Amino acid sequence: MPRDHITARGGPSIDMPLLIAIMAIITLGLVNLYSATSVYADDAQRATLADIYVSQIYWIVVGTLLAILVASIDYRSLDRLAMVTYFGGLVSLALVFVVSRSIRGAARWIAIGSFNFQPSEFMKIVLILVLARYLHNDNKVEPRTLLDLVRPALITAVPVVLVMAQPDLGTALIYMLTAGSMIAMTRIRTRSVLTFVASGAAALPLAWNFVLHQYQKDRITSFLHPENDTTGAGWHAFQSQTAIGNGQLFGEGFMQGTQNQFRLLPDQFSDFPFAVFCEDWGFAGAVVLLGLYCFACIWAIHVASQAKDRFGAALAIGVGANLFWHVVLNVGMAVGLLPVVGVTLPLFSYGGSSVVTMMVGLGLLMNVSMRR
Amino acid sequence: MRLFVQRSDVGEFRRRYRWMVLIVVGAFMALVGRLVLLQLVEGDVHRAQARRNIVREGFLATTRGVIRDSLGRVLAANRPAYNVYVTPSRLDMEKAWPLLTRVTHLDDAEKAALEQKINERRGLDAKDRRRQQQILVKVDIDRDAVAYLETHERELEGVEVAPSPVRYYPYGALGAHVIGTMREVNREELAWLGDRGYRAGDRTGAIGIERRWESYLRGQRGMRKTVRGAGRRLDPEQLEAKYLEEPRRVEPIPGRDISLTLDIELIESMERAMHGQLAGAAVMVDVRTGRILALLSKPSFDPNVVSGGQGIKAVSEAYTRLYADPLKPTLDKTISAAYPPGSTYKPFTALAGLADGLVDPKAEIDCRGGFEYGKRYFRCTGVHRRVNLHNAIVQSCNTYFYELGSRISIDRLASIGLDFGFGVRTGIGVNPEARGRMPTRGWYTRRYKEAFRGGFTVLSAIGQGATTVTVLQLALAYAALANGGTVYQPQVVRSIETSDGTVIQEFPPRVRRIVGVDQSHLSMVKSAMQGVTSEKHGTGYAGRIPGVDLAGKTGTAQVSHVTPRSVDPQREWYFNRDHAWFAGYSPAASPEIAIVVLIEHGGGGGKNAVPVAMRVVRDWQKLKEDRLAARSPTAGSGKGNL
Repeated sequence: MPRDHITARGGPSIDMPLLIAIMAIITLGLVNLYSATSVYADDAQRATLADIYVSQIYWIVVGTLLAILVASIDYRSLDRLAMVTYFGGLVSLALVFVVSRSIRGAARWIAIGSFNFQPSEFMKIVLILVLARYLHNDNKVEPRTLLDLVRPALITAVPVVLVMAQPDLGTALIYMLTAGSMIAMTRIRTRSVLTFVASGAAALPLAWNFVLHQYQKDRITSFLHPENDTTGAGWHAFQSQTAIGNGQLFGEGFMQGTQNQFRLLPDQFSDFPFAVFCEDWGFAGAVVLLGLYCFACIWAIHVASQAKDRFGAALAIGVGANLFWHVVLNVGMAVGLLPVVGVTLPLFSYGGSSVVTMMVGLGLLMNVSMRR
Repeated sequence: MRLFVQRSDVGEFRRRYRWMVLIVVGAFMALVGRLVLLQLVEGDVHRAQARRNIVREGFLATTRGVIRDSLGRVLAANRPAYNVYVTPSRLDMEKAWPLLTRVTHLDDAEKAALEQKINERRGLDAKDRRRQQQILVKVDIDRDAVAYLETHERELEGVEVAPSPVRYYPYGALGAHVIGTMREVNREELAWLGDRGYRAGDRTGAIGIERRWESYLRGQRGMRKTVRGAGRRLDPEQLEAKYLEEPRRVEPIPGRDISLTLDIELIESMERAMHGQLAGAAVMVDVRTGRILALLSKPSFDPNVVSGGQGIKAVSEAYTRLYADPLKPTLDKTISAAYPPGSTYKPFTALAGLADGLVDPKAEIDCRGGFEYGKRYFRCTGVHRRVNLHNAIVQSCNTYFYELGSRISIDRLASIGLDFGFGVRTGIGVNPEARGRMPTRGWYTRRYKEAFRGGFTVLSAIGQGATTVTVLQLALAYAALANGGTVYQPQVVRSIETSDGTVIQEFPPRVRRIVGVDQSHLSMVKSAMQGVTSEKHGTGYAGRIPGVDLAGKTGTAQVSHVTPRSVDPQREWYFNRDHAWFAGYSPAASPEIAIVVLIEHGGGGGKNAVPVAMRVVRDWQKLKEDRLAARSPTAGSGKGNL
């Protein structure tokens, strides 16, 4: 057993570049959340929304504490938790259907006291943990066949089916993309990859007809034909792009973006914070923010490449992929490159479960980074 | 180097990292590329859209100009009206709706129809925009209802009362054809009127003055930009200064007012005098200026209804009724229809004969009740025995004029008619004008493709055959007879004023032509026309009113109405009856006005048309005296054109 990086240096050393990037994103996210919700300050019915940046701060504090906790335990001892949390997660996902608060027709939350707990968010971390454990234990050297991949696929498929039933297409996509990214690290036979892609393409019409809900289909058709619809499903995308374009090079200024201030942006603090940010700070601000995200993703790959075991590398890749796909799906949707899917922008979108999950994930990444 | 040392079991992952970095960088490059497009390349487009999203361009309504008669009495104006709309998705059907139906006095049928429509809309998918579209419940609700709805606004969620000014014609059906009516602009017009500021739902003049002077009456709507969005923390004025481009406000320009030459009291008098007659027309014109003092076309219609003052439904109902009416109420019978003039044309035939030396005024012919020409026999109205020119006009002897017609060329008859303004449009400028017809040899040849027959001329000499005139043409021609041969351009519009009363443009009288007519011939004809109403044998004598100084000529024009078979015999009888005419001028010695009365299918002109003309002229004389008395002794330059 080679000696730890930590012990070599005489104790765990904090990964400063990662820490700075995360703190920068958190700061920008809070500033942006303030701007996004400031419009509600004089709305008698929704005035409380103007103060949600305060609760966001609470969640960030909670998340940071959990992240420190997660980072301080050696990640290698975490693999014992994997299966327990996985089954616990599945139970809580199933529990959503029994006791839940339904928002806009989707049952996603479980109320614990005054908190609304969203199990599907925490499941993201659990899934990374379980898959990392699987990859760690699976030491096969020759290229894998599809048969070899049945187990990780099943591990992913169970929570995917459960969140699809909520219905929550965005989270299901994140599960699949994150899991896919992790599995993609292994060697797979070329023929198997081709077979998988082909069968996936063949399954698309089936998914369209039997899995997707009408509103989900509407979002996709209006994405493919935006000219047909600027009021229904295409409306959100259209307003978001107008807001982003309105930012031009340097933006309208903090709390000055008209699309946000005149409430033309839908869900501006949950689904479209990127549009608010782009409108306020322009292309310059957007490039800085995307640069930070990009750096964090590449840094996760770097951490993985430095990890001393497969478990750590897979964890780092899982956290990085989770971050990457959130950013790409959310920003891609905001700029009109992808259909509207409810995926949060990490540390920008309002939401306790989302923030805490992301912070815990980053804590894991830090953990791996500190023990390479 | 520690950085690149891989442990054996991590080796499998190693080959993937470079690809992953490439994918990450590629994905972020794609996002940044998209931002370059949205924010830098298309930035201006999106900023413009963002501004459009928050700026509302509201219109400031203008007011349509007022139409007044020659004494300043309002003939067409605007009055406020209120329409009630409901938004189906927001309406409370249990409480608000019954309240609304009670206040607006909807009858059961209307209520049921509306309820069905509203429920239909409410049943639509939540996203369907038709749920939000307002439905018109009732137009022009009364003031009590407006007040009630406004005070109970809170209980009436989804109910809106919207002001919409309505054109108002205080005199109703009187002079409706000339004053005009309004209608909504249609789709085709919008296509080419759009750049003149017309929008869907706008109203425009449909007929009469309202239509012809639309561009003056209409005015120009103003515009005001506002920043939308309620409950803003920022001061609206600051917002406007920041986001609105100049000009932020353009004031509306009210339409021009128009003063007419008409006198509504005279039109009223005509209406009274024509009481009991089904259909007809009358025109009174000032012989010294060509200004029209009164125009009446009967039957008329209520322009308030036709112009939409009582709702769209009432308009279509009114038109269905008007178009189905065999008496053609929508036709302006003074201008848009031509009739055979009958004996009222005889003075012109006489003038042509005198000018060409074909008539010796003293020579007499023997009328035995008709005239044989070729193989045909043309009947006279009676047996007049020996008549000279004077008596032929006084007694309206056809034989005399048949005989003259047999010696004169039809082209000569047409040319004197054209001199007096028949056969061509007068250029009055309101409503489509009928030309009438002065048939020539060429016209007959083209029309009948056979040899021209002298009988045509014989008939034209008494104003029958193919000869037709409009009531207005006849009035102007008689004005020319009265004033010694000056044919005026008819005028209905006297001046155009701004809304505060400043005259912008006045229209002086315009002479169309001066007919070179020998004054001695003219005085012969005029003395005969005086005889028509003053001599015992005169055709108009029976209808005279003592004290009314009116000279002129009666006419009884035969009609050849083509009635389809199996038509109500009573109706057939009516439509084959002669038209009754009287055309004249007053006072006989120094004429001031000319008047023409046509009673469609009224029978004999002397019996039916003369009394009407007499009564109108009597009223005119009285009005003139009253107004003179009111003005004296300090006779200023009043507006009256009498």
